[in-house]
Amino acid sequence: MSKRLYHKILLIMRLTTVILIASLMQVSASGFAQLITINRKNVQLKSVLKEIRRQSGFDFFYDGKIITDDQRIDINIRNVTIDEALHNTFEGLNFIYEIEGKKIAIKKKPAPSLIEKVKSFFNNINISGIITNENGIPLNGATIKVKDSKILTKTNTEGAFTLNGVDENAKLIISFMGYEDMEVKAIKNLGIIKLKLSNNPLDEIRVVAYGTESKRFSVSSISTVSADVIEKQPITNPLLALQGQAPGLTISATSGIPGSQVLVQVRGQNTLNLNSSVNAPKPYDQPLFIVDGVPFASQNQNVSQFASMVAAQRTSDGISPSIGISPFSNINPADIESISILKDADATSIYGTQGSNGVILITTKKGKAGATNFDVNVNTSVNSVGRPVQLLNTQQYLQLRRDAYAADGATPSSDPADYNNYAPDLTIFDQNKYTNWQKLIYGQNTTNTDVHASLSGGSANNTFIISTGFNRSTYNYPGDFADQRFTLHSNQRHISKNDRLSVSLTSDFGYGQNNSAGFGGARDAILSPNLPDLLDASGKLLWTYKGVDLTSQQFYASLLKPTKLHNYNFNAAFNISYKLLEGLTISANIGYNRNNTNENSIEPGVAQNPVYLSRQSNFSDITFQTINVEPQINYSKTIGKGILSAILGATYKKNTNSSRYVTGYGYSNDNFLGSVNGASSVQANDDASIYRYNAGFARINYIYDQRFIINLTGRRDGSSNFGPGRQFGNFGAVGAGWIFSEENIVKKLLPILSYGKISGSYGTSGSDGVQAYQYQALYKPIAFIPPFQGIAPSSPYNLYNPDYSWALKKSLNIGLDLGFFNSRLLLNATYYRNREGNQLVNYPLPIQSGISSVLGNLDAVVQNEGPEFSITSTNIQNKDFSWRTTFNLSFNRNKLISFPNLAFSSYSSAYAIGEPTSVVYGYKYKGVNPTTGLFEYYTKNGEVTSNPTYGLATEGGDQAAISDQQIKYMGGFGNTFSYKQFSLYIFCQFSSQNAPNYLAEVYGSSLIGLMYNQPLEVLNNYWKKPGDIAQLQRLGSSYSSISTSSALSFAQSSGVYRDVTYLRVKTASLSYKLPVSFINKVHIKGGSVFMNAQNLLTFTNIKVGDPEQPSTFSSFPMQRVLAFGLNLNF
Amino acid sequence: MIMKKIFSDINKIATGLLFIGLTLASCKKLIEIPANPPSSITQEQQFADSLTSMSAVAGVYAYNTGNGFAYSDGALTYITGLSSDELSYVVDNDNQQFYSYTLTPLNGGISSIWSYAYQSIYQVNAVLNGITNNSNLSADFQKRITAEMKVVRALYYFNLINLYGDAPLVTSIDYSTTSHIPRTPVATVYDQIKADLADARQNLTANYPSAGRARPNLYTAIALQAKVNLYQKNWQSAYNEADSVIRLGNYVLESTLNNVFLSGSTEAIWQLPAKSSNYAVSDARNFVPSSATAAPNYLITDFLWNAFESKDRRLQNWTASKVVNGRTLNYPFKYKNISTTATPVEDQMIFRLAEIYLIRAEAAAHLNDLGQALADVNKIRARAGLENSPVNPTSQIAVLGAVMLERQTELFCEWGNRWYDLKRTGTAAAVLGAEKTGYTDNASLYPIPQGQRQLNKSLTQNPGYN
Repeated sequence: MSKRLYHKILLIMRLTTVILIASLMQVSASGFAQLITINRKNVQLKSVLKEIRRQSGFDFFYDGKIITDDQRIDINIRNVTIDEALHNTFEGLNFIYEIEGKKIAIKKKPAPSLIEKVKSFFNNINISGIITNENGIPLNGATIKVKDSKILTKTNTEGAFTLNGVDENAKLIISFMGYEDMEVKAIKNLGIIKLKLSNNPLDEIRVVAYGTESKRFSVSSISTVSADVIEKQPITNPLLALQGQAPGLTISATSGIPGSQVLVQVRGQNTLNLNSSVNAPKPYDQPLFIVDGVPFASQNQNVSQFASMVAAQRTSDGISPSIGISPFSNINPADIESISILKDADATSIYGTQGSNGVILITTKKGKAGATNFDVNVNTSVNSVGRPVQLLNTQQYLQLRRDAYAADGATPSSDPADYNNYAPDLTIFDQNKYTNWQKLIYGQNTTNTDVHASLSGGSANNTFIISTGFNRSTYNYPGDFADQRFTLHSNQRHISKNDRLSVSLTSDFGYGQNNSAGFGGARDAILSPNLPDLLDASGKLLWTYKGVDLTSQQFYASLLKPTKLHNYNFNAAFNISYKLLEGLTISANIGYNRNNTNENSIEPGVAQNPVYLSRQSNFSDITFQTINVEPQINYSKTIGKGILSAILGATYKKNTNSSRYVTGYGYSNDNFLGSVNGASSVQANDDASIYRYNAGFARINYIYDQRFIINLTGRRDGSSNFGPGRQFGNFGAVGAGWIFSEENIVKKLLPILSYGKISGSYGTSGSDGVQAYQYQALYKPIAFIPPFQGIAPSSPYNLYNPDYSWALKKSLNIGLDLGFFNSRLLLNATYYRNREGNQLVNYPLPIQSGISSVLGNLDAVVQNEGPEFSITSTNIQNKDFSWRTTFNLSFNRNKLISFPNLAFSSYSSAYAIGEPTSVVYGYKYKGVNPTTGLFEYYTKNGEVTSNPTYGLATEGGDQAAISDQQIKYMGGFGNTFSYKQFSLYIFCQFSSQNAPNYLAEVYGSSLIGLMYNQPLEVLNNYWKKPGDIAQLQRLGSSYSSISTSSALSFAQSSGVYRDVTYLRVKTASLSYKLPVSFINKVHIKGGSVFMNAQNLLTFTNIKVGDPEQPSTFSSFPMQRVLAFGLNLNF
Repeated sequence: MIMKKIFSDINKIATGLLFIGLTLASCKKLIEIPANPPSSITQEQQFADSLTSMSAVAGVYAYNTGNGFAYSDGALTYITGLSSDELSYVVDNDNQQFYSYTLTPLNGGISSIWSYAYQSIYQVNAVLNGITNNSNLSADFQKRITAEMKVVRALYYFNLINLYGDAPLVTSIDYSTTSHIPRTPVATVYDQIKADLADARQNLTANYPSAGRARPNLYTAIALQAKVNLYQKNWQSAYNEADSVIRLGNYVLESTLNNVFLSGSTEAIWQLPAKSSNYAVSDARNFVPSSATAAPNYLITDFLWNAFESKDRRLQNWTASKVVNGRTLNYPFKYKNISTTATPVEDQMIFRLAEIYLIRAEAAAHLNDLGQALADVNKIRARAGLENSPVNPTSQIAVLGAVMLERQTELFCEWGNRWYDLKRTGTAAAVLGAEKTGYTDNASLYPIPQGQRQLNKSLTQNPGYN
């Protein structure tokens, strides 16, 4: 890796640290003044007194018996004088105190006389009031507790409460999850009390499996990305908003084309190949995606079936699954409230099987009680290529071509029959014509539009939101191609007057249209720069130039072969709950999701060379559907000093997927291509699958004394993917945490520590990631075989193995959380180790068993482990200026621990024991031989050759494990600055991995020296004459060239693998809140103008291409997006 | 104390909740799915009645170039042709290893022949498994199909042991046992073949069960018995069986050589419809040049060429020549239709009467019935336009020589006959040693594919390979 980049990252990190520390010093400096600060809950009175003595120098005198060890108080004072401190300490207690000089004497209050008692009875008052949030919206369920007593009550749906018979000198503590506690003096009519939102990130509420929790008492490994981070990113696919935001989460964009797939992985690859066919790409585990409690029907699968520009992008590098159109681009990021990433067993095991590879919970926005609010957001963005690649110009290109012929001692020929030497670009085309195809194809800027409007409001009992959005994302490509999306989101919620019944319905409808060019597309950027005009003056396609057939170069033909995709997503989440008793609620979640895609791709006559004309039209349908029903019982109770909450539930899920593909041939007219009826012959293919899943689960959580947390989860899963008797599996997890900062000794020794927690979890989960029906012997029609004497033949499809069962994953997670300076600085360090064993694979068999593999469990174990770190810090918080920082860093190490008989299985060229599952087999590269000018490789015996033998060493070949594609480290850091009306957010993401670089393409798919344009970097880097020490070998002018074999081997050698490290300014967002004076003038509630940028700047050690697509320089590049917008609130 | 009590409480509650949860979850009804996905069916559905069962049977017979009776795209014909003295190669991939006896266990050809044979045997075993004791099928149907399948299985094993020697004998579909079976001695496999054929013979009739001669009848089973007994030197049995096919089978030698391999050939004992919109017979596609300018892939060797008498009509009708770069290249031309649309329709011949005559002739010669032997040879010669064999009719060696010569010229490039003949008569070393270089006794058996030995550790390798 380039040392420079490394240093740059280091420098930025250091700089951040210095600034951070500087600002922290400032924060803590006030603590050393003569004033007293104590903030503790449920602490011994004795220790408070000691603390006051320590901070003030005053001594206390009292009869040792009157203050006992279990005399505890809550105290929260900040920079107060000794008088105030004492007043606060003893308020409501049965003590009186006197100050003499530096001494304080404490005595018991004299016992009240009978008269006083009677008086006190009459002094008791009935209190009533209404609790609201900062905007005056009533809070339902806020707790009002009489200080130092057991008397408490909760607010109703109107936020109102009454407390009877309270001492008029008493104090009330009002608390609500996510808000700061408030202490008020008891008076008869409290009126409306507004609670303040908690600034403490520990108390932020986040969505977890079947509920919410605060970070403070969590023992799981969960990251949350909230709306304020998502909305600052001008992206159309919500998954892209997660890039770099959460430790352990890998997000890979597959292309810069809007609508294209985004791959997601949590904490590495757990499963092995399910496909034993040669060179099959390895599987890529993706987490479970749940939207508003409903499992997303398509999950993150490609919803497109056709070869289109999107599908033509990026080689899979042997790891990724097939790529295409993402179903998630049909969810509007503006409708998302938060995305939670559940990583460890404690967080995910309640999802059992399905959550084995992590869970992504997407929660959409819900209506909030209050005045009806209308919010409009409009923005326009400008797209350009993130990192353009400079290709050769005509002179440079022709020079390279001539060098190639010279190297072969061949002469370019104008005769098409001279297969080896035919070079129309050197002999027929204009030698001075220059078309910058790269610029023409993806060099322009385009503009995109995004509009989002939402109407929300309601009372405490009934809230609603309706929002709609439109997005049109074009990309800088000639032609009318775009990804468009219409979304309609709504939520209604009703709570009955008596606060027992609650119903909520969330529904989302999304219609997406992706219109993309036919296969080929951007790869045409490497056409010869001196190619003649491909269009005539009237814009018609030209197929020949001076007798040269231009069919394979006719870039404009792909523009006339559009693939049009319509995607419909419908998601409905219904929730009903009823409170049977205080603390006991029954509820049910019922969800339905349907994702349907229709596609049509055409090959019209106008796009084809009339010589080989053959019209064709392809139609396809894919439908994914999920029905999910989850009845639940929730119970919570205060037991002793702790709170117990339990949940008991069941899941029933049914997935049905189907796909159909019809191709019509032999149309007589281009205008018939929209229908299958015009075809003279038709080929069709379909497939369908069904999956049923059923589980029962229970989770018990107990938080003792705000210090100890224990969490037990158990689950029994049933899956239709398994045979009779194997369908059920039991899984569970245990999590525990200790908030040690609540211990007195810690408070005493480390007063700087405001929060400290050690937590851990261990658990199991299963995986049934196999096709249905494999447990029984199946027969399939033999495809493409004519009937035998009129009988359609069929043949066995699989072997009968009813015995395979769940793959088992064991996860260990240990976390340390530290909070300093009243939790303004929060640090988290986590170590995890996941081991997936009993892997489900197509286990290879000798063919004498009839079929070469059988689906079964294999005692292979894949391990993922590593540390993760995250920091959130409020560096500066003033009235006008604030600065907050977040940072995360993760290191996942993946390793195949065991695989019995690996060397003898067909997986032997895909995996290696002790190596990451992303291990790559190929030739070990040595260098360019200065004499022959050819690339050289090491053979299995350590000899040197330019023509290595294909195959593994065990098979007589020279291939060995040469590299892997593991991400070495990744992370992100963001800074948010706000000054008065201005707010600036800058988020940087970084990653480092081993990956093939652009030379994989130069020597793989578009061989250098042939009629393809190449990146400028290759120029004069190649060997020319004996004695040259060169990076690249001698050129070849044809596939018959002596350099071809060693060139093709190079693309499969360690020579193309290198470290790819980058730091990307992923998001920069600047917004300006419209000033109150202006708002009042135009009669609106609020508004802002903003500018958001995505992929603004990239620092990387690779010279050619985008570091997120390092192995290619010709496929469609990542986009840099600059959006300008306006937000208005009515 | 308190903590202890709380934990015990939690435990109690947890156990209770779990119990309820698990009861809820263990509902099997909720995870029931239809018996089969739309694109495939279960074994029970496949064998639900005789009509549906026939689809699996059709799967065994269907001519599939890569699979089944085409033996890996016709590889059986050309690799044995290369190993013997019939063919030389033009396209060099794995072919030269067969020609020059430098085979390695990694050779693709030996691997695919092995694989496709066992896949087909699995199909046969699966049909047997599906129909046996299946109450939905009539006893007659079960008997009839069982008999047919046993003939098919016998043929596959016959070729396997003649190519590889000892080979795992698999008669079940349970992979947990079949995946460990070591190589079964040739004699044991022969016993199974003979038992299968004897069983089949009991339940087959002279009538073909369907149109043409696509599915085995009684005489197909007897023809294969004759061939097996010939290979095992059971001369009398071979003689009797061949004789019964010739006398009772109602087959007639085609008088026109070019009609022998056509659909409806009167000498066909077993021939599969091969031509379809997708395929022609593999032998045609392998041997006939693909275009007017292309050279043939395989050439008839001088050894074979010189075995023909000049007047032999088989030279004109069953071989063809092409001049490429001034060289005359001869290639097999028994099957002529390379394109899927060409007519007349050619079927894949498995057994034909001419071979049975030659089996009877060879057996008769060994039984010292030299007159019968020569008569049968002459019958074949006459059809080829040749006069009676000039050999000394009283010399057993000479008559046997005439039979073997006739087998060479009549049955060339068909089902490995020449390669098998050289090996079983013990003449391979002498003949091939004289004609070509590199032949050793070890070369008479192909190596067991390396990949298979890796997957089944109990498979041993043939001598001479490692």
